[in-house]
Amino acid sequence: MKHVTLPVSPKTVHWGYFSKTVTPALTLRSGDRATIETLTHHANDDYERMVQGDPGAESVFLWTREHKAVARRGSGPTKGPFIRGAGEGIGVHLLTGPVAIEGAEPGDILEVRILDIRPRPSCNACHAGRCFGSNVAANWGFHYHDLIEEPKPREVVTIFELDTSGEPYAKAVYNYVWTPQTDPDGIVHPTIDYPGVRVDHATIRKRENILSGVRVPARLHFGTMGLAPSEADFVSSIPPSYTGGNIDDWRIGKGARMFYPVAVPGAYFSVGDPHAAQGDSELGGTAIETSLTGDFEFILHKKADLGGTSLEGLDHPMLETNHAWSFYGFTYPNYLAALGADAQTEIANHSSLDRAMRDAFRKLRRFLMTVHRLSEDEAISLMSVGADFGVTQVVDANWGVHGTIRKNIFRCD
Amino acid sequence: MRLAQRLLRSTAIWVDPMSFRPFTSESYAQDDRPEAWRDVLAAVGLQPAGGHSFFDGHATASHRQTAGVALTRMAAGAQSVGPLARANEDLPIALMPVEDGMVLKTAGGHRIVPVGHLLMLPRSGDWSVVFQRDMRAIVLSVTSEALHGRLSGKPRLGEPRVVPTSGFAEVFSRLLDATARTLDALSDSEWNLLAQSLVDLLLTLAHQLAASTSDAGASATQAALLHRICQTIERRLDDPDLVPARVAQAEGISERYLQKLFETVGDNFTHYVRERRLQRAWADLSSPSEAHRSISEIAYAYGFGDSAHFSRAFRHRFGLPPREFRQQEAERATVQHGVAGQRGWPQEALAQLRAHQSVEVRSRVACAGAGAPTTAERRHHHLPVEASRVHWGYFSRSLPPQIEIASGDTITIETLTQHASDDPELMISGDGAAESVFGWTPGKKNVDRRGAGPMDASVFGRGAGEGFGVHICTGPVAVKDAQPGDVLEVRILDIVPRASRNPSHAGRVFGSSVAAWWGYHYNEFLGGPKPREAVTIYEIFEDAELPHARALYSYRWEPQTDPFGVVHATYDYPGVPVAPGTIKRRHAVLDGIKIPLRPHFGVIALAPRELDFVDSVPPSYFGGNLDNWRLGKGATVYLPVSVPGALLSVGDPHAAQGDGELSGTAIECSMTGTFEVILHKKADLAGRPFADLSYPLIETESDWVLTGFSHPNYLAEFGAQGQSEVYAKSSLDLAMKDAFRKMRRFLMNVKGLSEDEAIALMSAAVDFGVTQVVDGNWGVHAILSKRLFQDAS
Repeated sequence: MKHVTLPVSPKTVHWGYFSKTVTPALTLRSGDRATIETLTHHANDDYERMVQGDPGAESVFLWTREHKAVARRGSGPTKGPFIRGAGEGIGVHLLTGPVAIEGAEPGDILEVRILDIRPRPSCNACHAGRCFGSNVAANWGFHYHDLIEEPKPREVVTIFELDTSGEPYAKAVYNYVWTPQTDPDGIVHPTIDYPGVRVDHATIRKRENILSGVRVPARLHFGTMGLAPSEADFVSSIPPSYTGGNIDDWRIGKGARMFYPVAVPGAYFSVGDPHAAQGDSELGGTAIETSLTGDFEFILHKKADLGGTSLEGLDHPMLETNHAWSFYGFTYPNYLAALGADAQTEIANHSSLDRAMRDAFRKLRRFLMTVHRLSEDEAISLMSVGADFGVTQVVDANWGVHGTIRKNIFRCD
Repeated sequence: MRLAQRLLRSTAIWVDPMSFRPFTSESYAQDDRPEAWRDVLAAVGLQPAGGHSFFDGHATASHRQTAGVALTRMAAGAQSVGPLARANEDLPIALMPVEDGMVLKTAGGHRIVPVGHLLMLPRSGDWSVVFQRDMRAIVLSVTSEALHGRLSGKPRLGEPRVVPTSGFAEVFSRLLDATARTLDALSDSEWNLLAQSLVDLLLTLAHQLAASTSDAGASATQAALLHRICQTIERRLDDPDLVPARVAQAEGISERYLQKLFETVGDNFTHYVRERRLQRAWADLSSPSEAHRSISEIAYAYGFGDSAHFSRAFRHRFGLPPREFRQQEAERATVQHGVAGQRGWPQEALAQLRAHQSVEVRSRVACAGAGAPTTAERRHHHLPVEASRVHWGYFSRSLPPQIEIASGDTITIETLTQHASDDPELMISGDGAAESVFGWTPGKKNVDRRGAGPMDASVFGRGAGEGFGVHICTGPVAVKDAQPGDVLEVRILDIVPRASRNPSHAGRVFGSSVAAWWGYHYNEFLGGPKPREAVTIYEIFEDAELPHARALYSYRWEPQTDPFGVVHATYDYPGVPVAPGTIKRRHAVLDGIKIPLRPHFGVIALAPRELDFVDSVPPSYFGGNLDNWRLGKGATVYLPVSVPGALLSVGDPHAAQGDGELSGTAIECSMTGTFEVILHKKADLAGRPFADLSYPLIETESDWVLTGFSHPNYLAEFGAQGQSEVYAKSSLDLAMKDAFRKMRRFLMNVKGLSEDEAIALMSAAVDFGVTQVVDGNWGVHAILSKRLFQDAS
């Protein structure tokens, strides 16, 4: 077993997409551990607090008229002319990786254990040692077309500080309404349509004393973790799917064990979209987006060894914690296969909790029947009286409902 | 290059990508509702009629618009509306009553407009429309912007016109109705297409009306002729040889007169044709349904033989070339919804019911004060269960109370599960109360009505009440001095399971869970037989370490003949005793599985105000079948009082349930609850967390739990059709919207946050979960942890 560290740099991140074609940042064997740094793609909402003075963050976010350190952001076109920028922001998350796993083949399952998660403190002398995050009520939020106060519509950025001195919690520092931002290439972003555009704080009006007295309990987790899909070379990081990705479940934190079906040789694991806290549904479009560093352990389960284990027949992501198993239902369980060539944009036209609930029901039924050897009638009765369904997110195009079954239900004679 | 991009950007707001806008008064605090409702009316050129106070009750509307076309379907209480003062040059407003008639008031007098007629209303003038009962109407407003430069020939209506819907008007009103019903389900391209059709039909209808007026002068004739010519042009845009001479010839007028007609509206033929061609090409390029056609095909279809010429003309007119425009449009979003199966009243039956309104039970509550204690001290009451103390399958404002209690009193209420009959030996035999409630022989049925359906079972023939509602509810309990507008706080102090009183099983506790035909799984079984219903009988163990339930046995439902001889092929009527000989018991089910208990009451309700008999299955503003396991010991639910005395009923006891209640039921187990009931008078609500309450609000030790439904007040929203419609339109997407709006309102009004703060907090810290997907009116709850505010003053 070896333990390596993967820092963030323009060479170790890919921005806004999963890809089986990106050169791995690291290659590990089953059983190895890695400490992986991740950056929030919202750090530039407050450059001074979340980027300035941090060599890793500065190197990744570097973007001047002459040089853009990470040019491609999203799975869109990389040849101009651009509407929003290279990659066109079709996918937004800064992902560290990929980590290739030796010997991983399609059909295997990769287990990823999150051993620990730590926030990344500000390196700016004025804020040194303090941790900040950004929450955006964005144009892709559930609320966006249903606002009651003026101006309608609007996007609002709220900067939070994470306090870890005791029981960790987040407190709001200030907020502002998004104003059109011009990037170094001269493109104007009237809405939040491209990640990593530095917000010019001279153009915004900060409102202090917001959410006063409100403490948001911390739930450190990674919103986006997953493997490269096989269907396309560049896959938007926004819709979650059968190889994981942007699941946005706050339960994927310290102590969690995630299982993903391997779709390409080497598995190609990437992680990012770090969150300090999020509610079930991620209603406004984002969590409290905060740069985090995680310790991970990777265990490869070969296809031939899955029978008779809780991984038998698994062809979608599964979460195991000390207390429960969770299954992720999506509007489309594999939208890339279901929606064809335009899947990555088409998926946004089909968002529905009703379909996601249907999928979660099916996945949990399959688990209870295959792994726990229940009859269909038993599985359905048990789901009604002992399983809980919740809204994972309503903002990632491929909406999510999770079905959770507690382990102590099975722990008896 | 950069300039092109700037151009592109500046045009990005041409089409509103999400033109559908739902409205519900639930979003707003009581004080803000009149203003919000005014906005809804203004979007279709209406406003509250002068002198009439603002409407502030429950209201919903679906609204959709595209450039110049606005269509709204609204449901609200009695009120009157008039024209929003505005220039008179736009097309008349089309207004169609949906369920009840209305009265048109003009200087000339009053006129009753029945359902099935259409009103064409001028944009100004001294008229108003009075909805005397509920306002349920569809309104279409078209302004000249919708015509994209097309000439309308300006049909003018001096006076409001009542149009009987026959012939052309019928086609128009049917399309109007069908479109309004499906507004939320239409993709942008479908909606745009329908909106254009509605504009065409409205134009033609307006011209017909204008021309038919007896005093119509030459100008009306001219306008009608021009309108017809424009329609001809519209049909022949593909013809590259569309020249004035040919059009004039076809109409039998001179070319000179044709040009003169266009001059009357300040245009000329050539410019008009070109503009229409570009506008239609613009529409096709932005429509996903036309995505399979190449740009040159589209250009050709509108008479442009040369695509380079088209590209230049398009860019000149709209500021960017057709290719870029199309790419940009390709990213627009739409929303779709699913549909579910149906329980409860069928539509047709409701229609019949309405014809001869039932007056079966009209004995108004007349017991206030009768024998009630007048002392200030708090008293404890006991309400045992037996046949005369329950109402089965419905809530009713007309039921005489079983008991009257005062605010602050405590009361122990015994409840029975309607599923006790799934194994009468375990759950009924030996229990005098249960035997009395379930008592049913060929000669006598102790509780005849089960459900809100007809007593003669004339809909399906299942039995009295038709099983339109299934829960055995104990009560109602009247609360002294409770009046509509008050809030009743119901604290659950204790819940105790009801043990079997059959000597052979004495002291043991049993429950039943049915995977029923109304379950979420029912239409997609993996294995056969398909479909099927399965009953699982559980035993409850009050184990100190982990109170839990274990399955005893299960069986598949087999047709059961009730004591009156009716055969129940499915689980379609509650309380039918299952004869042990007819079923095959399967043992060793869910072997080794312990289900942790979550004792709670599925149903806690106050009587609704709208109807005498309300199906107990769909939860709503008055509470009812909430099926949220958080309503257990130590929890409190706040309910808005709708009728004098509040009329509290409790039932549907559950030993355990998961979020979702997927199969259709929980572990249904008879239990006895002890409640403390506190009345909060309307005048004292200000500043309390439950001020301005229009839904069931749950409070636990650690959380606030807000209850969202597909249709928060389905009785008011759908009117007479409510008890059927609510089953037809189940959706988690709608319930999620409702939960979001309620939580936003709670955070803004109770916690004093701005909308931006509320949304940020909902994203970061509020958990939304699935309550149930089996009660017609599906539920999503929003959980707000009290910990968030422990620092707040």
